[in-house]
Amino acid sequence: MKATLAVLCFLPLLAQEQSSPQPPPPQPPADAKAPDAKVPDTKLDTPSPAPSPVPTTENWITGSVDFGYRWVSEGGSFPTYRTFVDLGSGPKLLGAEFTITDPKHRAFDTIKVRATGWGDEPYETAHIDVSKAKFYDFSADYRDIAYFSALPSFADPLLANGITLSEQTFDTRRRFASVRLDLRPGSWLIPYLAFDRDSGSGTGVTTFVSDTNEFPVPNTLRDETNLYRGGVRIERRHFHVTLEEGGTTFKDDQSVFQSPGATNFGNVLTPIFGETTDLTNLMAAYGIRGSSRYSKGLFTANPVSWLDLYGQFLFSQPQTTVNYQQYDTGNYLLQSQLLFYTSQAYLVSAASKLPHTTGSFGAEIRPLRRVRLVESWLTDRLHNSGAASSLNTLGSIGSTGLGSTTVSAQMLAALTSSLITNYNQAEADVFVDATSKLILHGGYRYVWGEAGDAVLPPEGLISADQARLRRNVAIGGLTYRPIQRVSISADAESASSGGAYFRTSLYNYQKIRAQARYQALKALSVTADFNALINRNPVAGVNYDYRAQQESLSLLWSPQKAWDFEGSYTRSTLRSDIGYLEPEDLAPQTSLYRDNAHTASALFNWRLPPVGRITGAKLTAGGSLFISSGSLPTRYYQPLATVLVPAGKHAAWFAEWRYYGYGEPIFLLEGFRAQLITTGLRLSR
Amino acid sequence: MAADVAAPYAGSAVCQACHEDIFSAFAKSPHHEVDSDKQRGWVDKACESCHGPALKHTESADAADVRNPSKLTAAAADKICLTCHLNTPTQVGRLESSHAKDAVACTTCHKVHADGGQSLVVRKAAAINLLCAGCHTNVWAQFQRPEHHKLPEGAMSCVDCHNPHGSIRPAMGQSFGSNEPGCLRCHGDKRGPFTFEHGPVRFEGCQTCHEPHGSANPRMLIRQQVRLLCLECHANLPTANKTGTIGVVPPSFHDLRSPRFQNCTVCHQKIHGSYADRDLLR
Repeated sequence: MKATLAVLCFLPLLAQEQSSPQPPPPQPPADAKAPDAKVPDTKLDTPSPAPSPVPTTENWITGSVDFGYRWVSEGGSFPTYRTFVDLGSGPKLLGAEFTITDPKHRAFDTIKVRATGWGDEPYETAHIDVSKAKFYDFSADYRDIAYFSALPSFADPLLANGITLSEQTFDTRRRFASVRLDLRPGSWLIPYLAFDRDSGSGTGVTTFVSDTNEFPVPNTLRDETNLYRGGVRIERRHFHVTLEEGGTTFKDDQSVFQSPGATNFGNVLTPIFGETTDLTNLMAAYGIRGSSRYSKGLFTANPVSWLDLYGQFLFSQPQTTVNYQQYDTGNYLLQSQLLFYTSQAYLVSAASKLPHTTGSFGAEIRPLRRVRLVESWLTDRLHNSGAASSLNTLGSIGSTGLGSTTVSAQMLAALTSSLITNYNQAEADVFVDATSKLILHGGYRYVWGEAGDAVLPPEGLISADQARLRRNVAIGGLTYRPIQRVSISADAESASSGGAYFRTSLYNYQKIRAQARYQALKALSVTADFNALINRNPVAGVNYDYRAQQESLSLLWSPQKAWDFEGSYTRSTLRSDIGYLEPEDLAPQTSLYRDNAHTASALFNWRLPPVGRITGAKLTAGGSLFISSGSLPTRYYQPLATVLVPAGKHAAWFAEWRYYGYGEPIFLLEGFRAQLITTGLRLSR
Repeated sequence: MAADVAAPYAGSAVCQACHEDIFSAFAKSPHHEVDSDKQRGWVDKACESCHGPALKHTESADAADVRNPSKLTAAAADKICLTCHLNTPTQVGRLESSHAKDAVACTTCHKVHADGGQSLVVRKAAAINLLCAGCHTNVWAQFQRPEHHKLPEGAMSCVDCHNPHGSIRPAMGQSFGSNEPGCLRCHGDKRGPFTFEHGPVRFEGCQTCHEPHGSANPRMLIRQQVRLLCLECHANLPTANKTGTIGVVPPSFHDLRSPRFQNCTVCHQKIHGSYADRDLLR
């Protein structure tokens, strides 16, 4: 796939080289048209109603390709650099974008291709659109995104001992491909077919958990989901219906292992009942297979001029089967019976099914010229049921302090699980054009539902949980445009709840959003934003108090052709207080979270004056900074500067400098600084 | 055709005489089809399909004599677009769209006269993000935090996750398949269904624990320490009261004074749901 895409991306380069000998471009235009003259001759002779306004002398291929080389100089924590940035050194195809037009409209009208970041880059993308009017639209998209995460402070119980190994790390890539074909676009009946594929593979570090210890071990990850779908769109003047059927296949073959020979002492280094626990050999593998089918029905209609109707019916039913096998040796403690054992074979067979139904219906009614009523209703219901049977065989068992015996024990278990949620929402809004400059709207939303989560037979105190949701929401807002240059919009919600699924869910909340835009000059516009969310759950024992607020100011200024500037600044504050219980003694505590952040970004573009024969050079400088204080104070700087100098009609040289600087006072070991210099050529046509 | 001539329409060719640049760009846009498609009823009058009859304007050359959608209210301007575009699958979620509720007109994002083949709206990820950031400044600021989805890098765009025309999912989220969260389009390994589910993932979605736009916390979590994130929900005493919230306090052997128990996902690593273990350990 990669090779194909690489060839595809370089296609314009080949095309550019090949194109020159075909028509004689430096010659007079009459000659240049000669190759095309054979076919259009007849057309030109026939009386045409009107000449096409599209110039016929355009290039059949236009676009550009950027390629170059990047050098990276990095200091500090390399794992953190890879977690956040992950750009590497080497030759790169930084970007390509081109359009191929067939003036004779044979197999296609246009082919549009764009690609970014090829050459062992963390984010590689490619996209192609091919279309022929009234016949087909075809698009394909591919992305290969690196997912690397290895923060030493994260998920590492041994950090206090100076061991900087995150016990939850990933070095994987996720690849996504999507292909879609629409037939007869623009007609009233449009069949379509599509295929999506999402896959991931790579390695990482996770933990193997026994009763009294956890052992960091390597794992491999490999999963893939294929989605097939097809349907038909029926688009008429007064209604539209889309019917779609689809299905997926899913495969997940992750595994966890430790080679024999090495002893892994895990996170508990102190002896338990005089013995240390360890892991000497592990092989655990998941074999998960899944499939699903789904149906989708959409419609819109405007049966009369004052009424629009909308509706959706969606159904899906994914299901999985699981075959988990685990074999391990070492020295473990079965805590419930105070028995040590040295080997374990654990087998699980499981299956689950998740029927999920969603329906929505809405109407927009316009009883008066200036009044619109909008009503909508939504229900979303899912029910996951699972069943698992397991066989756990323990070998070489001995009582604590009595030495081992050769007795083995088998433990059989059968479990069923159930997860149910029924979510419903009904909303009515009224929009009034109070004046030609002022629109007011108000409304009411009622949200209700039930949720349940259970595993049987019960174990301990957490086998079954139920909750219900009841929420009343008042909605209001306005859009005001007193003059053409000024627009103000604001909306607010205020809710009161009688139940919520979780302690941190929206409960009694107020949400406000306001935005003002001012076009001060033709070349200067200013936008100010304000957002706030206040959420409180006063139920005894919860006492949740959450307040988040953001204010932003952005500016776009392009007073003359020589330069322009865009910049923005955002200040955000977040405060969350909620009570919880210490598990060890049920002592009430308060979880406090604070985040006060300043974020600024700016970009200055300067079109440099001509120097000798060099004209059209551009300099760009700017970047962003993020500074926060609170629960995890952080500083993150990303300045950059780019220069682009034309080198002939179809080529330009560019160079870019980027800097990434990250630091936090709590985990100083995670800080890093990186300088990246990239230089290359842009070929365009 | 004779009836059309009698109507106060001027015809696109007359518009071209004064608005050559717009006409040329329009000729290369998908909307140009209106000028030749007999089914739509605007043959040779594409300009006036949106701007209304313009004969008077062509005679007076007065801007006040022709309809300018950019000076109408958003609802009135949208009504013109929806004359043709209402009955399409794109508009199915329109009533749930906060863009529609906040009077964001179609033309805020779409260029009706645009040059560029099939593009009436920007298609490149970086350009889409720039367009959205023009209004959602505070959201774009979150992407400047160290942990973020790769939008500033141009690998993703806002519309990968959000449907700007509206959807039935919260925050105008995209869907996977028919009615599953759009997150699963790329994170298929988190889709399940799991034999043992973690309720919040199904009930309230990924954003219960993650800040998808960006965060300074590891893994885009909404708290800096995993244990606080978990314990804020897992803090209810077991009760028969069915109107309480979900999430019971962990058993007492979870001694938070020990580093072993300060990061719940070291043991409960299958936190999104487990195929094999009720306690999400494997």
